[in-house]
Amino acid sequence: MEFVYQALVYPLQQSFFQKALIGGSIAAIVCSVVGCLVILRRMAFLGDALSHAMIAGVAGGYLFMKLVFQTEAYAPAMLVGSLIAAVVTVGSIGFVSRVSRVKDDAAIGIMYTGVFAAGVVMVSIFRNYIHIDLVHFIMGDVLGVADHDLWVAAIAASIVLTAVILFFRQFQLSSFDPVMAASIGMPVVLIDYALTTCVSLVVVSAVSMVGVILVVGLLITPAATAYLLCDRLDRMMMLSAVFGVTSVLGGLYLSIWLDSSGGGAIMIFCTLQFLVVLTVAPQYGLLARWTRLRRMVPEQLVEDVLVTLTRQGGTAATGSLLAGVIGADQERISRALKFMTRDGLLVQTPEGLSLSPDGEREARRILRAHRLWETYLHRVGIPAGEVHQKAHVLEHVHDRDSVEYLDDLLGHPISDPHGARIPENHVSCEAGNICSLSILREGRTVSIESVGAAAQNSGLYPGQEVTIGPRLEDGVTWSVLLEDGRTITLSHSVADAIKAKVLS
Amino acid sequence: MGTNHDIPAIEVKNLTVSFGPRPALLDMSVRIDQGVSVGIIGPNGAGKSTFIKAVLGFVKPDFGTVKILGFPAAQAKGLVAYVPQRGAVDWDYPITVAEVAMMGRYGHIPWWKDPSRSDWQIVQEALEMVRMEEFSDRQIGQLSGGQQQRVFMARALAQGADILLLDEPFAGVDAATENAILDVLDRAKKSGRTLLVVHHDLTTAGEYFDLLMLIKQRLYAYGSPEAVLNPDLLGEVYEGKLRVFSGLKGQRESV
Repeated sequence: MEFVYQALVYPLQQSFFQKALIGGSIAAIVCSVVGCLVILRRMAFLGDALSHAMIAGVAGGYLFMKLVFQTEAYAPAMLVGSLIAAVVTVGSIGFVSRVSRVKDDAAIGIMYTGVFAAGVVMVSIFRNYIHIDLVHFIMGDVLGVADHDLWVAAIAASIVLTAVILFFRQFQLSSFDPVMAASIGMPVVLIDYALTTCVSLVVVSAVSMVGVILVVGLLITPAATAYLLCDRLDRMMMLSAVFGVTSVLGGLYLSIWLDSSGGGAIMIFCTLQFLVVLTVAPQYGLLARWTRLRRMVPEQLVEDVLVTLTRQGGTAATGSLLAGVIGADQERISRALKFMTRDGLLVQTPEGLSLSPDGEREARRILRAHRLWETYLHRVGIPAGEVHQKAHVLEHVHDRDSVEYLDDLLGHPISDPHGARIPENHVSCEAGNICSLSILREGRTVSIESVGAAAQNSGLYPGQEVTIGPRLEDGVTWSVLLEDGRTITLSHSVADAIKAKVLS
Repeated sequence: MGTNHDIPAIEVKNLTVSFGPRPALLDMSVRIDQGVSVGIIGPNGAGKSTFIKAVLGFVKPDFGTVKILGFPAAQAKGLVAYVPQRGAVDWDYPITVAEVAMMGRYGHIPWWKDPSRSDWQIVQEALEMVRMEEFSDRQIGQLSGGQQQRVFMARALAQGADILLLDEPFAGVDAATENAILDVLDRAKKSGRTLLVVHHDLTTAGEYFDLLMLIKQRLYAYGSPEAVLNPDLLGEVYEGKLRVFSGLKGQRESV
């Protein structure tokens, strides 16, 4: 009990801890809220730039008041100085990337290091006039927060939060779709500057606590954490603020227990928080992603199951039987079977699972692709022993256009090199469809729709009803039975040129 | 909307826009009537996007005027509803279907007010019109391509604009999606809206739109698909970069 009291309650009674908690929370809330817009606009690097550029502004403001009014460390002047430095930095970044071939990110890198360096040099040259502790500035000192820091944070926070709440729609639309925003008359450029000013204010208010280097973390990390959990900007901002405050609270305790730097502890806590959410977030987290991937049934496996079932006559399969044939482990197979039943490809029968009409159609389509690929591979000279294996891979290329290309290239073969029948193109050959006569198989009755140039002398004319006869001469000659009993033979190109409407 | 239907939806007169010695648009004049659907075609870099910007009032013309329903384009904020290209949208943005549609109302809501009940009503109707009402609370990244396009159509409808400007809605979508988008365009047209659609695919342009506008710096042709999809004209504009001119839908009727 004594231990818990020492660890949790005792710090809360200390005034330095209270100030750190209040100041840190204010800064964190406003950082996190603005951070949402910053990450959605992909401006994270700009936040970093602004925080570094500040030092020049702080030094400038200090120096100005000191030399002109002889006042020491006048906070409002340093604040204004920081804002001026921020605006100058942003302006010069925009200028450089606009007028030269140097891109945005490089321009940011150049300008902020330049302004930062100018600040550092200024502070060291005028070290007799300016009493700024550079280390304090760079690392921050949340546990040594002074009253005026609290005031700065509170004023900056109220200005920024008011702006974000009042102009939420403007910020939202101009970050989501600037073109639309401009088209309905929103002042997009002004909104951009307003956002940059907000970021500057926020950074200024947080630097004294977590330091130049870590402030960008406070801006980005809680917002990114909330981003993993939210699908609405307003909720993301609220949750982000909560994460900001928990970071400060957790971080401060951590720094007391470990006797470490306050800013560092806050950012460590904040980062850990992010990593935990990244792992467990219900939708965008790693675990969720991993289970989704695991649950997903690969299309290839589904196709393998379909084809195996067709080859076995289409009925009564058990998982273990299929697992043996396909060569996948039984767990994956049963998951695939469940998935396919849900998708309507399989139906449960008393004897086991069998193909539904949809499943049969799909299976025929894949089998057709497989056997056409086999014929193709045989034709291009692949050794017989490798044909099946290669076709097994290629059968998953089965979009309609590719398969029909193969079919035509190979002269609409009826059987594959092993003598197995290639299923008919059952989509195009459905009754009522108009298709080229060449893709029809023996036994179909059709009425001729049109006769192309290549088939002018074929003896067929539009309106005739004919029955397709057997393929002759090793499959390269088509035969057609007329109603009067005559038989007409056609070559591939002539058969291609005749369009027929399928009757049955 | 009570507007006079004799006023052209868009009237461009002698428009020249340049960003250097070579103009993006040169002496373009066109009058688009209300209630028609127009496909804007032309090769890459032909000034299609400059034309869009001109209609939205974003560019300052070197010479000439653009009028939207009789108002100068720069002052006609919100009269043209813009549907962006799919690639221009951040689909991971934390925003729901209903919120995107509500953006259409932003131009009508004073900045100090929240959306009113009638705004929500309009959004609801717009979502119903594109058959997306069941998906109101879905984040936009979790929709199919066709649904995503429909959400932005709903936003344009909720905006209440009589003129819809769509930037390549058919780019990179499958056949089913294409049909879904066409269906929505059709309904929008039936309700009397004017559609301006930047379109890349010449093989479908004649089938999808009442009128076509062929531009490359200048306006080469504006009229029925039969007139615009003329092999000589296309050959001149595309400079042989396009080999397949025969068999374009719309052409056949004219032969």
